[in-house]
Amino acid sequence: MENLDQLDYYLSSINELGEVLIDAEKIHKIGSGILRLTLGTIMASKGAIIVSKKEKNTHFLATQGFSKEINLSSLFKDLNKNRKQEPFDIDEKNNLINSKTKEELKNQKIKILIPLFHKHDLLGVFCIGNKFMNQSFSGLDIKIMRIISSHLTKALYNHLLIKELDNKKREINLKLLELETLFDISVAISSVLNIEELSEDVLWRSVGILNASKGMLLIQNEENPILEPISTFNWDEEKNLVSKKLNVFKNIKESKKGLFLVEKDKTTLQKKLNEKNLIITPLQVKNKTLGFMVLCNKETRKGVEEFNDLDLDLLTALSNQAAVAMENAALFKDITKEKNFNESILSSIATGVITINILGEIDSVNSAGLKILKKRKEDIIGNHYMYFFEKDEEIIELIIKTETQNKKHTTVNIPFYSVSKETKINFSVSPRVDKEEEIKGLVLAIEDITDVSKIKKTFKRYVSKQVVDELLDDDAKLNLGGEKREVTVLFSDIRGFTSMSEKMEPEQVVSTLNNYFSLMIDIVFKNNGTLDKIIGDELMIVFGAPTSSSDDTERAVKTAIEMQNKIKEFNKQRIIKKEIPIEVGIGINKGLVVSGNIGSRELMDYTVIGDTVNLGARLCSAAGPNEIITSSSVWFKTKNIYSYKKLEPIKVKGKKDEIQVYKIQK
Amino acid sequence: MSDFNLEVRKEGEVVVIKTSGYLNNVGGEKISEVCYKEMENKSKFFLLDLENTKVVNSIGVSILIEIIEKLQDVDGKLGYYNLAPIVEKTFNIMGLTKYSSVFNSETEALEGIL
Repeated sequence: MENLDQLDYYLSSINELGEVLIDAEKIHKIGSGILRLTLGTIMASKGAIIVSKKEKNTHFLATQGFSKEINLSSLFKDLNKNRKQEPFDIDEKNNLINSKTKEELKNQKIKILIPLFHKHDLLGVFCIGNKFMNQSFSGLDIKIMRIISSHLTKALYNHLLIKELDNKKREINLKLLELETLFDISVAISSVLNIEELSEDVLWRSVGILNASKGMLLIQNEENPILEPISTFNWDEEKNLVSKKLNVFKNIKESKKGLFLVEKDKTTLQKKLNEKNLIITPLQVKNKTLGFMVLCNKETRKGVEEFNDLDLDLLTALSNQAAVAMENAALFKDITKEKNFNESILSSIATGVITINILGEIDSVNSAGLKILKKRKEDIIGNHYMYFFEKDEEIIELIIKTETQNKKHTTVNIPFYSVSKETKINFSVSPRVDKEEEIKGLVLAIEDITDVSKIKKTFKRYVSKQVVDELLDDDAKLNLGGEKREVTVLFSDIRGFTSMSEKMEPEQVVSTLNNYFSLMIDIVFKNNGTLDKIIGDELMIVFGAPTSSSDDTERAVKTAIEMQNKIKEFNKQRIIKKEIPIEVGIGINKGLVVSGNIGSRELMDYTVIGDTVNLGARLCSAAGPNEIITSSSVWFKTKNIYSYKKLEPIKVKGKKDEIQVYKIQK
Repeated sequence: MSDFNLEVRKEGEVVVIKTSGYLNNVGGEKISEVCYKEMENKSKFFLLDLENTKVVNSIGVSILIEIIEKLQDVDGKLGYYNLAPIVEKTFNIMGLTKYSSVFNSETEALEGIL
């Protein structure tokens, strides 16, 4: 009966075992549950479940009345050697464990050891202490120990499998992260077009994905011996200046392959950066090495470790993607620059330019076009030309003709009803073709000729009426694109005007200058000169640009003499009004200049530049009050008309040799 | 981006940790140190403000997983807000967001974590 009761008790323990095992993920709970259940079932007071760990020799999964200070280093070794899978009494005379361990266990009052083998792997050991009141364990006790240990072994094995599965899952997730990073960078190729933003993004992702502690992206520039850090992460600014001549970079550039450096390599780069573990890949686009990605220190929970081939493969893939993205961004930058330049040219010309795409919709219009059409850009773009020019049948016909015949058509002086019946335009339409000569649309050019007097008025501020008329009569004369031409330049400057103006009221200064300029410019225009610039009290006059004639130099000298004569008259009036007389020095030079629209993209001016201009200005500086000084070239051209005095050669800034100068004798 | 730094403050029952810098081994250890110390003081709810942490590596993530596991034992929670897209993606892929919460703002986080 007693045995039946005991059996019933054991069976209820086994039933409870099922509940303990159900929470398979939490192995500590299982361990302590099984230990409590076992000791309670077989009436033992002490026990421990010890599992083997790769990093540590042993790990206490659960203990009861058992000191963790015990040294069991050889226990697993002995059990593994003997491979006994059954419970055994450590007092029995056997050599399953060494005497020292046996002694340690006996001191802890351990009686039974149950090695927990799964097939040939020793997963742990179940230690059980003496039975209550030092009774002997019965055969049933041993049986129940076997059953429970067998379940414990399975639970340990399941736990290991779950752990392994978790690790595999983590590895897969890391691979997924790597793929996602590569994908993100490939997306960035088409979406991020700012090189700095792009390089920072690529570097940060690379550092994170390779578990590096820091990194930098270096760009190489042909003229610069130092690799320029375009982006850095956690890297000390002072330590990231490295020469591209270092062997590491040379080798990578030659082989087009990255590498990783370990402590024993001891390269100059490692010394320079004071780092042992580095991985470096080229930013390679075909045969061009744009730069390098350098990462340092692969982190683990235990510290830093060396990079490996898999890291190199991954970083190479990232760098290749990054290089393409950076090349794209650089190309985009160039194209944008070019586009801005073209747009600036388009916006600086007076002709309205409208482009039409292959579907017949307007896709661009320059600023002159907006002015002529008197519309906002958003009201023009996207319209079909048939709709937009519906009031101008002639224009529509011309466009259709160009579309069908694929050649340029022009018409002049037609009314432009889209704006008003009074508006008159010259109109031309040309096919827009790509590099493969395929038609991609049309280009319309609209020149507003409604009010030629407006143009005349504008030009008259700078050139004489005669020059304006010449320009309007013959477009060929008006070459604003930049060309070498021979001109005569005249500079005049009021001597001592600054100190003179200090003694005058501001209003007087302005009125004096206005009166003076008005008189001088009248003379300039009378002699068909072009007023190039007014700088303070200085005038720059050009003869021979934008239109030239054979007597440009003669007219320049004539203008200078007339200017000086006019100043004499001007001064007489000033003296009567008790105003300070003004004295002017004039310099004239003749020679080759470059003329055209010169300036920034935003602001272009028609002017002339070159040595001839500079020397003209220097001669003006050298001229005394009321004097006209010329160069040899001016003297030679006009010596038969005007009287000159040869002066001592002078030294001028910017010229190595002295310059022979002449003074006009009035 | 400089070294990893932390600012810790308490909002009622919630410990808010504002980080700046790379969430790697060093950064992760610093966070776990604060969390475990606060857990000894019976704190169970933690929020990470990751506005100034733009990069995280897998070591940093594994330390956060450890913190989450320890918090689970005491029915605690870990949450995050102000995540950079790269960081959020990493958290998602590494499975962190299954066991901890991402919030859009501090207000939402302080309400949602409890």
